[in-house]
Amino acid sequence: MALLAQIVVSGVLLGGLYALMALGLALVWGVLNIVNLSHGALIMLGAYATYFLFTGAHVDPFAALPLAAAALFAAGYLIQRGILNLVIRGPMFNTLLITFGIEVILTYLAQLWFSADYRAINPRYAGSSYTFGGVTVPLVQALGFAIAIGLTAAMWLFLLHSRTGRGIRAAAQNLVAARLYGVDPKRIYALTFGLGAALAGVAGGLYGTVSQINPYIGGPLTAKSFVIAIIGGLDNPFGVVVGGLFLGIVESLTALYVGPTYRDVASFGILVLVLVARPSGLLGRTA
Amino acid sequence: MDAILEARGLTKRFHGLVAVNGVSFQLRRGEILGLIGPNGAGKTTLVNMVSGTLAPTAGDLLFEGRSVRGVPAYRRAHLGIGRTFQVMKPFPGMSVLENVAVGALFGANGGERNLERARAWARACLESVGLGKRIAQRADALGGPDRKRLELARALAMKPRLLLLDEVMAGLNHVEIEEVIEDIRRVRAQGISILVIEHVMKAIKSLSDRVFVLHHGEKIVEGGTAEVLSDPRVVEAYLGRQRR
Repeated sequence: MALLAQIVVSGVLLGGLYALMALGLALVWGVLNIVNLSHGALIMLGAYATYFLFTGAHVDPFAALPLAAAALFAAGYLIQRGILNLVIRGPMFNTLLITFGIEVILTYLAQLWFSADYRAINPRYAGSSYTFGGVTVPLVQALGFAIAIGLTAAMWLFLLHSRTGRGIRAAAQNLVAARLYGVDPKRIYALTFGLGAALAGVAGGLYGTVSQINPYIGGPLTAKSFVIAIIGGLDNPFGVVVGGLFLGIVESLTALYVGPTYRDVASFGILVLVLVARPSGLLGRTA
Repeated sequence: MDAILEARGLTKRFHGLVAVNGVSFQLRRGEILGLIGPNGAGKTTLVNMVSGTLAPTAGDLLFEGRSVRGVPAYRRAHLGIGRTFQVMKPFPGMSVLENVAVGALFGANGGERNLERARAWARACLESVGLGKRIAQRADALGGPDRKRLELARALAMKPRLLLLDEVMAGLNHVEIEEVIEDIRRVRAQGISILVIEHVMKAIKSLSDRVFVLHHGEKIVEGGTAEVLSDPRVVEAYLGRQRR
């Protein structure tokens, strides 16, 4: 019983990080109708940014997150303004190909610059943990969870209540009308992609503190973010929280009761089930 | 004559089809100009070129004396060109108030940046078209006539200097048409110049100072409302030639 509780708690903590990973992908997908296949590579870059700030400049990894976010925001803004805005009106296949190309380029640049070595971000307090009634909660994971949920909530408030947030939602819901009411689509798209990249940057920094990083983590993380966005649906930022927690718990339980190698079988099995049963996601309104 | 909008030989070709052919007209400041013509005459194409969603094949367009050729649609909105759509385009996931707030936040001169003031202004615009009681509803839950009013309120919230009304009366009953006519009169009283595209002749008669007629993409008549509506060429364009 204690073991089960521990597994569920670990799954929830992991799920918070999953939610943050998927949030940027879901935002870009929902607003720009781009499935950004380079999302995982941006997470990878965020992880390296945090790693080098920590090892090179001795910045605490959690204090480095805003810097990683700012750097990734700039990168994302430029990628959208300079590349993706040129093909945004084309068929989805074009943006899939281009973002896949960006993913390949970023991955191999990272391999050239950072080498293929595994690295981990290990601050002094990396091993600290708290125990409540037999359930252990590692400090780093709990912090990561709190940041992930906090950022998702902040994103939601931003979209609902700020001027730019309304512009983003207007462009997502009806682009033709939004343009005629004064919303500059190119700027809104670049801002949205930049925000998605900034969220990926933070997710990457947190990922580096709880797991190992190398240049190739991007592909699987894109796939995982994709599954979460599908499970949760794109209508609502809290969809990714539901999707992330669900996936985190299912993966943890599968790893314990079936075997760690079956984790991805479980997550992609769920993807197929959701697509069959509720194509617009668990929180989505079905037509 | 002080023209807020002037078209010079505007032409739009879609491959082989000439939708609008060398149309020139002037819309005077403070005027309501009616645009009529049979279905497929090119009216909406013309409005799309004014609002900036379609680029003309040839010709020029001047807003307040300056050419707006090549100016993107969102910047024309900042300049003060507002419009409604024949096929209504609300933001379906937002409340009625939020829909109109988008117009207020991003409209003329880049819009109102203060959220509270934008919301208050949006509410005032909704009340001026009689939607004050529906501000909390989702836009996609509104019925047809109320959606038309929403379009009008959203365009007004932009504080436009020129308003393009693309068939706002279509699908309304007589009482509702009277109400919208009153709404449009109030808009003009605020000093906003208006281009009205309409099939409802009663509305054109009671609103327009002048009218021009498009037929097969060309301007066939222009002038005072009464004389244009009784012009034999206009009657022919709508009803066909009388057989003798």
